[in-house]
Amino acid sequence: MRMLAKFGTMGALLLAAILFSAPCRAQVLNSGASPITLNAILQDSITLTLSSHAVNFTLVAGSANNPGSTGITATTTWVMKPSVNSLNLYAFFSSSTAALSDGAGHNIPSADFQISDNGGAFAPLTNTVAFGGANAGLQVSSVPIRGYNKTGTNSDVMTFNINLAPLPNLAAGVYTGTLTIQAQAF
Amino acid sequence: MKTVRISWAVMVGAAIALSASFASAQVNSGAQPITLNAKLAESLTLNLSANAVNFTLSAGSNTNAGSAGVTATTAWTLAPGRNNVNVYAYFTSSTAALTDGSGDNIPSSAFYIKNNANPAAALTNTVVFGGANAGLLLANVPITALNRTANRTDAMTFNIDLSTGTLPQLPANTYTGTLNIQAQAL
Repeated sequence: MRMLAKFGTMGALLLAAILFSAPCRAQVLNSGASPITLNAILQDSITLTLSSHAVNFTLVAGSANNPGSTGITATTTWVMKPSVNSLNLYAFFSSSTAALSDGAGHNIPSADFQISDNGGAFAPLTNTVAFGGANAGLQVSSVPIRGYNKTGTNSDVMTFNINLAPLPNLAAGVYTGTLTIQAQAF
Repeated sequence: MKTVRISWAVMVGAAIALSASFASAQVNSGAQPITLNAKLAESLTLNLSANAVNFTLSAGSNTNAGSAGVTATTAWTLAPGRNNVNVYAYFTSSTAALTDGSGDNIPSSAFYIKNNANPAAALTNTVVFGGANAGLLLANVPITALNRTANRTDAMTFNIDLSTGTLPQLPANTYTGTLNIQAQAL
């Protein structure tokens, strides 16, 4: 009788354990994993800003020294891809023969327009560069791009001069032109 | 065999993708213009080597040479449309080029200038400056594209001819006057 009672108690306990454990196991329910694809693009870019957009010259006939009224600072800022090796800054005219003109057939060629970059020697715009007319450009500066400067900035302080020594018979007048500054990374 | 073909296809595809990536590595900044304005002003200047000449007169003589020659240096920078530079000598009055202030005068027709290798000439013409019949065109320079900026010199010597008209009876005295030298571009 006692044995029967013990078996009865044990059976009841076992049943209770089964009954309590079943709801606990049913609460852990996982869904499938849902992926989210992340795509972050750091676009490569170059921005170039100039401290000013106008330079005046008071010319003296036949003189080699006709400095511009002001210098201009070009600030180049970039974010580059790993494949880029250099960033070059160029100055150029669209025409080598008529960098500046009075509009009446009298011209100042790009060969007589000079730029000094960051205090360096004056150099005429006589090269064919990535932009502008043939023989009408100048590479102002070049920055090697390495792992440490994929993102960077560079300043070029430019001063200007017009050399009229090769143009002793230039007619008096007002000569206008557009010098363009542009950067390229490659 | 099929696996090898698929591997080659994958490698070729990867190579194309890489080359495309490198080709697109060139990046340009925006073009930044600088407006250039250069003014070469017109100018015409005349300088004399001396500003005084003395004469020791001999009554009735046709040869009363000045104490010194004077060289006029004319320099110019001219605009298109200018065709000539003229250099003139003149008095303000043809009747009283030099005067003693008491009504006794030496007319401009008795005053002679020898310019460079030219023969001596009296100031008897009406020119753009000075009095009627009181001037002389010393020099004329045609302006071309080759001499828009240039200079010239006029070496002048002077003589007073007291042999004509009433001048042989000129009273003894000190006669003063002002001869002007002036250039004009037109």
